[in-house]
Amino acid sequence: MPVYAADPPTARVAVVLDALVAVYHRPSGATHLLAAPSPELLDALAEGPADAAELRARLAALYELDGDGTAMIDARMEELIVAGLAWRA
Amino acid sequence: MAQDYDKPENNAGESAANPLGVAGRRGVLMLGAVAATSVVTIRPALASTAASVLNCKIPIPDPSHTGQYITQDGKLVPANTKGAVAPPPRPITGEEAKKMIGGQSPAGFDPSAREAYVNYIRRLQHGTSGFTCYASLQAPRP
Repeated sequence: MPVYAADPPTARVAVVLDALVAVYHRPSGATHLLAAPSPELLDALAEGPADAAELRARLAALYELDGDGTAMIDARMEELIVAGLAWRA
Repeated sequence: MAQDYDKPENNAGESAANPLGVAGRRGVLMLGAVAATSVVTIRPALASTAASVLNCKIPIPDPSHTGQYITQDGKLVPANTKGAVAPPPRPITGEEAKKMIGGQSPAGFDPSAREAYVNYIRRLQHGTSGFTCYASLQAPRP
């Protein structure tokens, strides 16, 4: 099970644009447009590195989840890794 | 719809009355389909071409500290400080910096100074000469 990590929230500036969130990543100077659940996943990593199951548990504490697969969380995390917003711990 | 933007207080009131909210950010979170893409990266113009990035230069140290030595952990110290390394003979290009960060030692640089140089580059802050070059190296590639 891959464990994911991300920079602390202070490394990002996020602006909610209706359904999307624009995220400016200070370390890279790159801006990303994220759709749910990616911004929530990044925020959930603020507590520390986590695998998909742990991320799901953290999100479930805050939201009512629609969809159950940790495979979806892994897929979203892979995108965040490609974008440079997260990495495998 | 424009009226929504004119009345943020009302929206806040609705959210308070309904903890699950109406905007979707606090209520139901759609995990989506495995194949759905949820990340789009806007590439800054400075990183738009690999060539411009790899040809940018990082002076070590920055011009206002010319001549200073670099400690192994990347801090600037007076010249000839024991344990610190001399600055490189010329600015490091983006391509060379990338190699150094990756553990290689490009031609023309003292291999034993590689770690000090890499740590210096990692410590670069906004406003320091070479920061934009380093930042663009970290940006995702097409």
